[in-house]
Amino acid sequence: MRSLLLKAVATALTIGATAASAVFVTAHLKNPSAPLQPTVLTVAPAVQTTSETPITSTYAS
Amino acid sequence: MRRDVRSRHFDAMGTTCSLFARDADLAAAELWVRRTAERLTRFAPDSELSQLNGHVGEWRKVSAELESVLRASLDAYAMSGGLVNAAVLPAMTAIGYTRPLAQGAGVATLDRAGPLPPLPVVLEVRQGEARAMCGIDLGGIAKGWMADRLAEMLGADCLVNLGGDLRTIGEWPVEVAGTTLLLRDQAAATSSTRKRRWGDVHHLIDPRTGLPAQTGLSEVSVVTSTAFEAEVVAKTALLLGPALAPAYCAGNALAWWLGR
Repeated sequence: MRSLLLKAVATALTIGATAASAVFVTAHLKNPSAPLQPTVLTVAPAVQTTSETPITSTYAS
Repeated sequence: MRRDVRSRHFDAMGTTCSLFARDADLAAAELWVRRTAERLTRFAPDSELSQLNGHVGEWRKVSAELESVLRASLDAYAMSGGLVNAAVLPAMTAIGYTRPLAQGAGVATLDRAGPLPPLPVVLEVRQGEARAMCGIDLGGIAKGWMADRLAEMLGADCLVNLGGDLRTIGEWPVEVAGTTLLLRDQAAATSSTRKRRWGDVHHLIDPRTGLPAQTGLSEVSVVTSTAFEAEVVAKTALLLGPALAPAYCAGNALAWWLGR
């Protein structure tokens, strides 16, 4: 009797967790404000990074 | 400052300009920027560009400088698949960008908002003459073109920064999107919807709609071989949006950063 009760509780917990995760995942399929991946600067071999102090920078104006 | 470099900083074209060189007349270079900007601005009614815009449909004599920038605008249109379109002045007027923003924005009426006409249809250029069938705004194209010409004039070992449009001759460390890069005879530019905006309106027009662009990207910085190319590639990538911009930049830029 006791083992049957434990199995029933475990099954109920499993079903509950599965249902909750399904609801969570379907509600968070895509976050449109998430940053692009990767957000870092992509640099081709023709350009070198350096540890020198920059003289100036590009910016929006 | 490295290598005995001299510098000169000044405001022109509604932005800040910085010139760096070892052996060059930077005062003369500033004068060239001011005179060329006066020629190419759409805001001064007596500028050479305004004279062209004020005589729609008529062949007008143009200086070598204006002719060259107009030809560059046609190149930009071709390079960008039509996304960089200098026939944008009616759309700029429609969103209220009728004067320098330092004087305050105008009213966005959107009364003539719509897809822009193909530039080659409304702008013809031949030696010493041009004809525009609608208002032309050279904007960033002129800035990139000027950075390239100025770097050529300053000669070996110089760095030109015209409102964020960079062009180097020789080797110079510059910051691009928070990273310091050593640019060797290269250029960089940033296109953005974060600046020059008022309320919900900004200045970067999507030629497919004639309205301020909403592509999912708000800022793009790129490194290319020339400042003109950098201007075109940055703006095109921003207008393409996050799905297409990475592949486009991989084929057209030497370094790039895409910001939402």
